[in-house]
Amino acid sequence: MQTWFGKKASAGSPPPSPRKDRSGIRVGIPKVLNVWSTSQFWVGFLRDLGIESENIVFSSDTSEEQGREFGKGRGTVDCCYPVKSISGHYGELIFGQKKKINIILSPMIYSLPSFMRGHVSETLACTRVMAGPENIKAGFMKESDVFADNGIKYASPFLSMAEPDVVPKQMYDCLKDVLDVDYAEIEHAVEAGYRELRAFNKRMRDASREIMAWCARENKPCVLVLGRPYHMDPGIGHEIESDLQAHGYPIVWLQYLPIDDDLLNWIFGEEVQAKKIRSPLDISDVWTSSNSSNTNEILWGAKFAARFPWITCVLRLSSYECGMDQPTYTPTQKIVEAAGTLFFKFGDLDSTKPAGSIRIRIETIVHYLAKYSDKIIQKKLALLPADCPLLAEKEKTLVAAASNQP
Amino acid sequence: MATAVQHYTSYKARPFTREQRDTTTILFGGLTWKHERLVQGVFNNLNYKAKPLPNITRADLDAGKELIDVGACCPTIFTTGSLVNFLKTEVAENGKQKTIDDYVFLTAGACGPCRFGQYHESYEMALDGMGLKDFRLFLLAQDQLDQAPEKGGGLEINMPLSLGIVWAILCGDMLTDMEYQTRPYEVNPGDTDRVMKESADYLFEVFQKRPIHGKKWGLLAWHFLSSYFADALRVVKKKFDAIEVDRLQVKPKIKITGEFWLQTHEGDGNYNIKHWLEQEGSEVMPPPVAVWLGYLLHTPIWRLQKKAVVDRKVKFKMAMVRGMERLYVGTYNRFRKALGNVPYALPDQEELKKLASPFFHYELRGGEGHMLVGKALHAHLHKQANMTCELSPYSCMPNTMSQGAMANVQGRYPELLYAPIEIKGDAEVHALSRCQMILTEAKKRAQSEFVEAMARTGMTIEKAREIEAKRPELKKATYRIPHLGYASTAANYVMHLAGAKAAAV
Ligand code: SF4
Ligand code: SF4
Repeated sequence: MQTWFGKKASAGSPPPSPRKDRSGIRVGIPKVLNVWSTSQFWVGFLRDLGIESENIVFSSDTSEEQGREFGKGRGTVDCCYPVKSISGHYGELIFGQKKKINIILSPMIYSLPSFMRGHVSETLACTRVMAGPENIKAGFMKESDVFADNGIKYASPFLSMAEPDVVPKQMYDCLKDVLDVDYAEIEHAVEAGYRELRAFNKRMRDASREIMAWCARENKPCVLVLGRPYHMDPGIGHEIESDLQAHGYPIVWLQYLPIDDDLLNWIFGEEVQAKKIRSPLDISDVWTSSNSSNTNEILWGAKFAARFPWITCVLRLSSYECGMDQPTYTPTQKIVEAAGTLFFKFGDLDSTKPAGSIRIRIETIVHYLAKYSDKIIQKKLALLPADCPLLAEKEKTLVAAASNQP
Repeated sequence: MATAVQHYTSYKARPFTREQRDTTTILFGGLTWKHERLVQGVFNNLNYKAKPLPNITRADLDAGKELIDVGACCPTIFTTGSLVNFLKTEVAENGKQKTIDDYVFLTAGACGPCRFGQYHESYEMALDGMGLKDFRLFLLAQDQLDQAPEKGGGLEINMPLSLGIVWAILCGDMLTDMEYQTRPYEVNPGDTDRVMKESADYLFEVFQKRPIHGKKWGLLAWHFLSSYFADALRVVKKKFDAIEVDRLQVKPKIKITGEFWLQTHEGDGNYNIKHWLEQEGSEVMPPPVAVWLGYLLHTPIWRLQKKAVVDRKVKFKMAMVRGMERLYVGTYNRFRKALGNVPYALPDQEELKKLASPFFHYELRGGEGHMLVGKALHAHLHKQANMTCELSPYSCMPNTMSQGAMANVQGRYPELLYAPIEIKGDAEVHALSRCQMILTEAKKRAQSEFVEAMARTGMTIEKAREIEAKRPELKKATYRIPHLGYASTAANYVMHLAGAKAAAV
């Protein structure tokens, strides 16, 4: 899961001096959409500019109350809930703070620094992710400028986060006056942001690897969540995976799957050698138009789950009226199920948690997991080379013996 | 190691070989019948057999829904359904194997972030669902004029083909502009449709007989410099000359914008809304495909401007793009001139960007991007139209976003008459009645423009008729009415007859 607090900045060159005193500036960031996968960039970036950690304010998790209290009447169109709910986040940052914030920073994220970059055509954000802020802003400006009325500066940089070399200019164009910064400062802060994000992602991937190594050692199943980053928001994804975790099944999220060479070569190496794919992160075998970052990752996650023995079940989360997910429903299911991995889709997620139906489905999933996991593990293990890098030599022998049992 | 499991792989088209060219028909679609007819001429010109899919019908929506995952936007459903229904009929008549052997389908693709870049995923799923996985489907990337030959070499997406298609589109736009400016005012009902059919057939032949001079740059230069197409359009003008119009009929001018496919389409896919608007007594300003091509041509400049270092190489590239753009717009204007300058000029991309800027960032991609906001404001501020009707597919991702931003525009420009119409494909009554409400106001505005123009100039209907009787060229469809400060044609016509100067815009 994400953490929303500024950690101590990791090593980098000191910021260009003299730096202006920005310790009193409070910056509010709506915690929505792809801020969920870039939050640590924002923390690193702002801290490097001299904004205090406690002055970096992320809005709360999405909730219906938040929408009712702060976003009512601000919506301009009907669309998927991850976008519609943003009004509540803006409203909370404007009206719901004990200590007033000075700036709302709501990035228009055009492209993402995905780990799949270089292996796919593009890593663009969904059109609604990139344009969401313009849409939501309209609801706060159509009658009067609510930001200005409340003494808040609204800043919405357009960012090609997949191309770190253009980000400083994009950031500078938007923030030079808002934060009174010069280009060198911005450049330095952008670097710090990326560094922070990389470090965080690494920690998360390492943590997933540990979970998966435990599953491998113990020969126990785990469950992969296949969704968009913001499905981690309890108000968007409705914590469906937690309900399953409560039954003792470890959960990993596709966004933080380990991508170490040893593991990927173990899983995809033979297909690369057979020239079925160009690299372990290539998805051209299952998806032609690899333009959308989160979609690419979902398809790759499905491939990973289809092959990794101890992921015996995939939970597919998808929001109501999600146009990006729509063409992927059948392909992801077919990919996952090819080698017998269980696949359960929770689609049409909206503002209200359908608690009753989720409970019943969780019971079904638990039943299937208990009944079929061993067989699935064995079947998938038998398809891969023997030397699983997650296991020590002794364990490899034990697991191999177990998988050979009838 | 066990090998029993076959991991999932997506559709891969079988080769389409050179030898199969003579016996294989390329199917395509997605534009108006006029554009498609001319594109067909381009294919024939290069010795391909080709035919457009039948025009979209309501039944295509059902066929599409049946075979692709739920929740698709209606352009995806309609276009998939159209291919499905065509193939179904062929299979029923000629059998599966013959259908698979006799046809390939060529579809436009874009590295777009919305479903437009993924249409073919839906087509593939539908083919799978129909048991036609061996049917061949190819992508025409709209941003690459010269692509590597498709598998098998049967289809070469090269400069002769791509330039031909672009020029066919420009000429298709010319015809469409003529059509929509003429039909609402024609004195003899049916004249316009007849002339349109004749003109499209004539231009089809012009494209079919297009000489191929050079391969790449030489061919490009020929397209820009030759008078071949402009001469053909002058022949078309003569055909339109014969249509008599009465421009004293007061009709509001309605600008159509919206999602690319939906705004371009003429048929059940958008409830035939352009036709409906005409029947309701309006003049429709159709959206030229050329604006979209102009946008594609212009956006590299914005991308280049973003480069961290603008060195000589970048400057050279920018100059190249600008040069191309000038030639492109120049060609469009030459075509307009051949038709008496009746077709509308292309809007300036920099102006669209500037107008949209406070509301919608110009680099946001998907759908028509910032252009929807820019076009609505452009039409309003330049008094080009009394109302903008934006066709928005239900569940379209980019359109919902810019439509939301329009709330801010309307707050700032309360006078802007804007009708966003959601198109689901099967909720016609609801959509049209919503349009009707705003159209009523547009009609009032056109009427008051007319009354104002008459009052300003002291013109009366009788006087106007007298002038017309003396100057019969005024009643020709090809007589250009200058824009004199009003949106509606009748008001500008009155001003023109009176020799008045432009009303203050
Ligand atoms: S990916 Fe889907 S849920 Fe997310 S913003 Fe886009 S349309 Fe909405
Ligand atoms: S622009 Fe909208 S309607 Fe068109 S393909 Fe994209 S999502 Fe569908």
